[in-house]
Amino acid sequence: MTSRGTPSRFLQSVLQNGVGRYVCQLKRISLIFSKNGQSSLGAREFIEEGVVDFAQNNPGTVVYVSPQSCRIPKIVAEYLNGNVKEEAITSKTSQQIVELITKLTNQSGLDIIRIRKPVHTDSPSIQGQWHPFTNRPLSIGPIGPQKQQTN
Amino acid sequence: MVFLTLSCWIRNRGPDRYWKVQEVLSNARHFRGRKNRCYSLAVRAVRRAFVYATKARKIKRRNMRTLWISRIAAASREHGMKYPALMHNLVKSSVEVNRRVLSDLAITEPKSFLSLAKLARARQQEGFGAALSDGKEPPGVFSRIVTLQ
Repeated sequence: MTSRGTPSRFLQSVLQNGVGRYVCQLKRISLIFSKNGQSSLGAREFIEEGVVDFAQNNPGTVVYVSPQSCRIPKIVAEYLNGNVKEEAITSKTSQQIVELITKLTNQSGLDIIRIRKPVHTDSPSIQGQWHPFTNRPLSIGPIGPQKQQTN
Repeated sequence: MVFLTLSCWIRNRGPDRYWKVQEVLSNARHFRGRKNRCYSLAVRAVRRAFVYATKARKIKRRNMRTLWISRIAAASREHGMKYPALMHNLVKSSVEVNRRVLSDLAITEPKSFLSLAKLARARQQEGFGAALSDGKEPPGVFSRIVTLQ
């Protein structure tokens, strides 16, 4: 896992999200679970108690609940930039699933890879970036408006 | 007549050699030469790469610090001061700015860096004056030690 061998990105927000209004980046969340199966117990409990509250608190996110016969219950989260994240919730309690879902709502859809710098600015220099002539006096003298030559 | 020993000679090898090999080769894809294709060469190269990556975590901090120091030294020499003098006088004036921020200021905020260099120069002159005058003149402005109450 070298830094050159693994992908990395710079810190950014999706389209400057928090500057004006905040838009929740989670587009769709699908709960896949089975109706009879011990691993989906936490998922079923969460659907009984917490799903409706979650859906009401996040009006911008679509919640799909699909009971299928599956061995591992999953949460599939899709984000506005197209990234899809799958998390398995086998043998998790309802509380753990709530925490997981809050974590997914607070994420933007950007890849979870190494972030090169912990900071980002669009305007790094206020006084003007240094160039070799910043601290050198002008050879000509102070530049002003041209005096009109009287003819 | 039934030949039975032939079936005893067939061995069942492991089923996932391909994936174990791909696990190593995927870390070697950006290497040069046959090390990015041939497993035996790649194993050795990948192990060295990981060792270098582990060691480099400490070395990166060292390299970044020397980079900052050389940048601050170049910027302060533009203003007629040397790096040790600048840092010592900034510390004496209780300006606790670290080398990373100082080098960023020198690049993106040249006027602020100039003012810091002038501050350090003034403190240096006060230090020289205090050393040479043997306590007859009042102490300088920048040599005052401020205590928070």
